[in-house]
Amino acid sequence: MDRRSFVGFVAPSVLAMLLLILVPLLGTAWLSLHESYVKTELAEVRTTVPLFGGLSREDVRRVPQAVRDAAGNPVHVWNFVGLDNFANVLGLDRLGQAMAATPVRIGQLYRDVTSIEFWGALEFSLLYIAATTPCVLLLGFALALAVDATSRRVRGALIFASLLPFIITPVVGALSIYWLFLDNAIVNAGLQGLGFAKFYFLSGALPIRSLIILYGVWHATPFAFVVLYAGLQTLPQDALEAALVDGATRWQRLWLVIVPHLVPLFVFVGLIHMMDAYRVFEPVLVFGSNLYANSLQYMTYRILNTEDNYSKAAAASLLTVLGIVILLIPILRRMWRERQTA
Amino acid sequence: MKRMLPLAAGLAALLGATSANAACTVSGSGEVSTLSNAFPSLEVIARAMRDCSAGSVKVTTKLTTENNPETVQALKAAKSPYGLVALTNATITPAQAAGQLRPLNDFVAKYKAKYNIEDSMLIKFGNDVMAIAFQVNAQHLFYRKDILDAAGIAPPTSYDEMLAAAAKLKSTAGIEFAISGTYKSGWNLAEEFVNNYLGMGGQFFKDGSAEPAFNNPAAIKTLEVMKRLVGAMSPNALALDTGASAQQFMQGQVAMGNMWASRAANMDDPAQSKMVGKIAFAAAPTIMPGGKPATTLWWDGWAIPKNFDGDPELAFQVMMEGVKEDIVRANNDVAIWTRSIYKPGRFAVGTAASARAGAPPYPMVPQQALAHEAIGDHIGAYLAGQASAEKVLADATASYTAAAKAKGLLK
Repeated sequence: MDRRSFVGFVAPSVLAMLLLILVPLLGTAWLSLHESYVKTELAEVRTTVPLFGGLSREDVRRVPQAVRDAAGNPVHVWNFVGLDNFANVLGLDRLGQAMAATPVRIGQLYRDVTSIEFWGALEFSLLYIAATTPCVLLLGFALALAVDATSRRVRGALIFASLLPFIITPVVGALSIYWLFLDNAIVNAGLQGLGFAKFYFLSGALPIRSLIILYGVWHATPFAFVVLYAGLQTLPQDALEAALVDGATRWQRLWLVIVPHLVPLFVFVGLIHMMDAYRVFEPVLVFGSNLYANSLQYMTYRILNTEDNYSKAAAASLLTVLGIVILLIPILRRMWRERQTA
Repeated sequence: MKRMLPLAAGLAALLGATSANAACTVSGSGEVSTLSNAFPSLEVIARAMRDCSAGSVKVTTKLTTENNPETVQALKAAKSPYGLVALTNATITPAQAAGQLRPLNDFVAKYKAKYNIEDSMLIKFGNDVMAIAFQVNAQHLFYRKDILDAAGIAPPTSYDEMLAAAAKLKSTAGIEFAISGTYKSGWNLAEEFVNNYLGMGGQFFKDGSAEPAFNNPAAIKTLEVMKRLVGAMSPNALALDTGASAQQFMQGQVAMGNMWASRAANMDDPAQSKMVGKIAFAAAPTIMPGGKPATTLWWDGWAIPKNFDGDPELAFQVMMEGVKEDIVRANNDVAIWTRSIYKPGRFAVGTAASARAGAPPYPMVPQQALAHEAIGDHIGAYLAGQASAEKVLADATASYTAAAKAKGLLK
């Protein structure tokens, strides 16, 4: 292909990436270096609110009110603050205090650090990745093998059913699992019906984190399944037959022929899932609301919406992007090296 | 065809029933979208508003319990896609302080007669009417009359009595966790703290300023009482949202607790509740002897964003169509309406008793929302036994201070 047609083919996607990825990213970076708010001053304000049955209450207080310009519009403040927002998100001052505490006790230090919102959120985000990724790959592979072994007639229905958790909107899926495990909900009622004692699934960090991880596996396994199932359709039949002729057992065929053939797909699914899992959000919103389990994505949402702070939220989301890059570097480097040697 | 007739008649009856308020008379043209929380009275109002869609007027309504984040963004944007937003004591103050709401005085004057807009419906800041309140709401005591009567326990008027009652029910009636509460870590838990801390006589800020003042012995005492209450609730309590807590009552799992008045009517709805007629209501308990009921009085109302990308006069008419007298009359027991034609029924008893005993309104200062969030983010750690009361209050104060500084409310 000559240079001109190459550029012609590549230009649209480069342009789309510039517009849809680079520009918003730069905008976010720009926001994260500033602070912005409506300028206020304390002023006496009389409020009147209804109480009950036609009664109302008047209240006079000094409260912050917007400073207005000559035209009567609120004055907006927009200041450059350098990396202050990043320091705020990372909790650098509290981190410094935790590090400076003597004598150093590892357990205490760990608790102090993870009690800072960012580090606590990072802890659970990483835990979530570490716990879900192997389960998703293994279960997805097992499901793919199982479906591949069924007769053609039922396969369509099986594939559709297996994909359902992936199709359901994440927040709906998370809510469904939350509702299943409430005090008197179906799981508890069922367990009690079988003679077990009542178990409180939402009573602490361990059960809630387990439920969130369960949700994650349930939600993401179909993705691994469908990719690996597609991979199984491309197995080299002659290699398999040769293995049979050589007297390879079922296990040997699986381990020595099928799995090596699917390795690139395992890597692909693993990478995508890790990136997705790092941004876990819905189950944390539904279950944890940051007491028992927090995630970086939930933290960003909270900063944006409850603190109503765009700039700090921008800093938090940039740190999330940075985290994904760091997470993927070892894997990408390895792939790069394998490519070089190949 | 003949067989279809009853069906058609049934459908017509159904349609007739749902559009009893079809007599919507708004003038103007254009589109009005509304954004609100989701609970029974708002559903009634949204239906009435949607009935205004006709000809060149189009009304769409969005009801979601996650309305607040979206409202904040809509008010802040260059143009708001929503012509009407539902606000409360807590959510109106940041918007008002930032000058994001349109004063409604002109429309109130113009439509006062047509819609009989009463003074007790007006939310005023100085002379500016910033919202029209349609209902009041408060958390107050819900209790199982049958269980308490059988055990010879009077409805508790204080948390000490409530805890004693829970202990008695545990030993005599075999109810392990008799108390329910809206204690989900985050906003709900912070709301309980606000109720109880004010009931303890606390205040959140140094007088006439945004300086935090909620790390003190009264706050610690408040947290200690809350921890004792949590001990008498389901071990899941810190993860149960309002809906799950209401369900505990409707399924007959608990005997008493503070719950929102707006959920009272659900208790008698046979479609959702197994305890129809068994749950009674009273003032919120007090947290300290001789104190006021540990609850805050809320209003729910509608406001028009200053940046609304449409005709505010049409939006105002749609708002008033949703809360006009016909609607209140037809749905008397759905809410504690602010209109004087509302006839307080059994679902209003708890709010009325709390108000009469002097429960304060939820604090209407703009920095309260930030304090509320900071408190909700941290005190759960104490109640879950992960940190001391002193530490979580210090953490909440630090979070609040950082957030208030970033918003220019503190130097």
